[in-house]
Amino acid sequence: MTEKSWMYAVLEAVQAEMRADPAMTWIFELTPPVASNPGMPVINLETEFGRRRVVNTGIDEMWMAAAVTGAGLAGSRAATYIPYQGAGMPFQIIQNHAGKLRHMTGGKASIPVVYVIELTGQTPGFAGQHSDYELDTAYAHIAGVRTVVPSTPYDAKGLMHAALRSPDPVVYLYPAGLRMLTEEVPDEPYEVPLDKAAVRTAGGDITIVSSGPGMPVVMEAAARLQAEGVGVEAIDLRALKEMDTETFVNSVAKTRRLLTVDMSYYTLCPGAEVIARTAENVEGARYKRIAFPDAPPPASPEMFLWMRPNADHVVAAAKRLIG
Amino acid sequence: MRPERDLAPAEARQADPTATSRRGFLRIAGLAGVSLSLVSAARRAEADIGFFAKDLPDDKLTAMFRTILRIRWHERTMADKMLSDPDYRGYNHFYAGQEAVAAGACAALRNEGPFEQIDLVYSTHRPTGHAIAKGVDLKKMCAENDFRATGLNGGYGAQMHLSDPAVGFIGADGMIGPGPVLATGSAFAIRARGSDQVVVFFGGDGTYATPHFHSALNNARLLDLPFIYVLENNLYHQYAHYSFSCPHTDIAEAARAYGIPARVVDGQDVFQVYNAMHEAVERARAGGGPGFIEAKTYRYYNHWGAPGAKVGELGAFGYDPLAISSFRPERELRSWMQRDPVDIARATLIDWGVLDAARAEAIEAEVRAEVAEAFAWAARQPLCNPEDGLRHVFAEGTVIARQFG
Repeated sequence: MTEKSWMYAVLEAVQAEMRADPAMTWIFELTPPVASNPGMPVINLETEFGRRRVVNTGIDEMWMAAAVTGAGLAGSRAATYIPYQGAGMPFQIIQNHAGKLRHMTGGKASIPVVYVIELTGQTPGFAGQHSDYELDTAYAHIAGVRTVVPSTPYDAKGLMHAALRSPDPVVYLYPAGLRMLTEEVPDEPYEVPLDKAAVRTAGGDITIVSSGPGMPVVMEAAARLQAEGVGVEAIDLRALKEMDTETFVNSVAKTRRLLTVDMSYYTLCPGAEVIARTAENVEGARYKRIAFPDAPPPASPEMFLWMRPNADHVVAAAKRLIG
Repeated sequence: MRPERDLAPAEARQADPTATSRRGFLRIAGLAGVSLSLVSAARRAEADIGFFAKDLPDDKLTAMFRTILRIRWHERTMADKMLSDPDYRGYNHFYAGQEAVAAGACAALRNEGPFEQIDLVYSTHRPTGHAIAKGVDLKKMCAENDFRATGLNGGYGAQMHLSDPAVGFIGADGMIGPGPVLATGSAFAIRARGSDQVVVFFGGDGTYATPHFHSALNNARLLDLPFIYVLENNLYHQYAHYSFSCPHTDIAEAARAYGIPARVVDGQDVFQVYNAMHEAVERARAGGGPGFIEAKTYRYYNHWGAPGAKVGELGAFGYDPLAISSFRPERELRSWMQRDPVDIARATLIDWGVLDAARAEAIEAEVRAEVAEAFAWAARQPLCNPEDGLRHVFAEGTVIARQFG
């Protein structure tokens, strides 16, 4: 166990999988697969595995996504790191090829690949195009592709191992704003399941469900509410598809109050799905969702910071729901 | 500086006398230690472009020099503010070093008149030079870059989304890819309505790798669109040398493969850029279809922001923590700064008798005062009203606040 940064923990997983499988490839564009950590060896996938397996491409995210998909169809495991400025470009490949080929071929096609897709939107100043938190909704909607979104370095590493070992294509959403988080992360490989939510705090008064970039906000709000004596069950979805329905349904069956928090746009945000599934299974609960308004994130910090969900919003909404 | 990756077959090189002569010249220059400034003269000779700039009136030539200076001092002032003023919030992808491309290209366009008649420019994530050259109001641009309510775009867009259709500046674009394809769509509309406007897309060497580059050129040729692709080859896309993403030494070769007339010009010489652009604009206006200009140029700052730069000094020589795997050699930057677009324009105009040194100095002083006032005006502008973030989603009305639950 060593205190590790998010990026180091993720690349440790990729390095271990690439050492174990000499056919596995990695394609990147802007973000070099390099990480350092105090007291640990520098990881540099490009120098360790060479440019035949680790490729720095031009700015062509469509190719990056298609290339790893094709690598999968040829029998190789492959992964690509698509930075936020191109995070929507691979959509057609993932939605209409990766998501459908296994089913369309009657189970013959297998695409054991990982699309690491950066999510940004945490920084005021970068308007619209460099803010793409809403893509969790788009990718989670696709059938046949698993979509996960870690919120801690420990989960980031474990989900990366599980994603790289999965026979299914996995969209691994990478909230760039959490990149600087550090925590104790085991040195050896381990898996975090691709279909299990995590209960972060236990409590009986209200269930708060979020994922990825929403979790720091939820954890801060949960701590403040707990300090005031409110029992908060904070749930980190981790997997948007297949979503772990049982965990949050069981929680709301107990608390009868569900608040969802998303950095995504309000319409069809992951919380909307969580509320719908809960309503189908739990009688008499109360619901509320917090999300980014259905507006592109503006550049101005005054507008952006007012629109972005924060811990104050979560605390206030939770109190109203309990109220 | 550039790796030799000329993949053209030997006979093609034979058929292109410019290729041989350039190589020959560079070899001689290297042996004799000849000043790099002579490369400009050699390229001018080999390119055999009609020398339209010679025939321009003095005020037009002086205006091109002034445009270069306005861009240069905007960039330098902004870099200094980013480095020294804790209250300043703007950022930039700096254009310094490339000024002659925007100034020379836009000088060949129709920039004044009704929207239905002026030429249109699509820009990039590095837009400030294009915006200034096309005629965007400097004060309002400065205010927008600092997220002010009275900025060019009300504080919604800032540096990567500057837009002013009133002067034909369709706008900046934070993405690499779709820009040229969108520009061909505008050109398509212009051709359909029988207008003689032209549409210009400025893009970097990084655009070559995108599928959009190839789609734009193919469709522009197939439909003979009034579309001009100005490719500013500053050697680096983000932090990677363009040889990582393009097999051509001259990206213009790719345009020729699509059947589009292409020129390679010295992007540090505003008059050479103007000459090539004038030729392409006249052809496109007359219905002769698209053109492609590759301007060899260089950016004095790193990809984003001002890491490695110092207050009061031009250029960024220091360490850029974002450039993890690919660095610009400092000597490469210093050698490009020997052929500075400001110096070349000034020396040419003095040589032509358009200006004398004192007049050139006076113009620069005027420009510095104008830029200083623009930043000062911007700093006095009001900040945005938070609730206005819910406006302008659709043509009318506001969307609902959802962040409170």
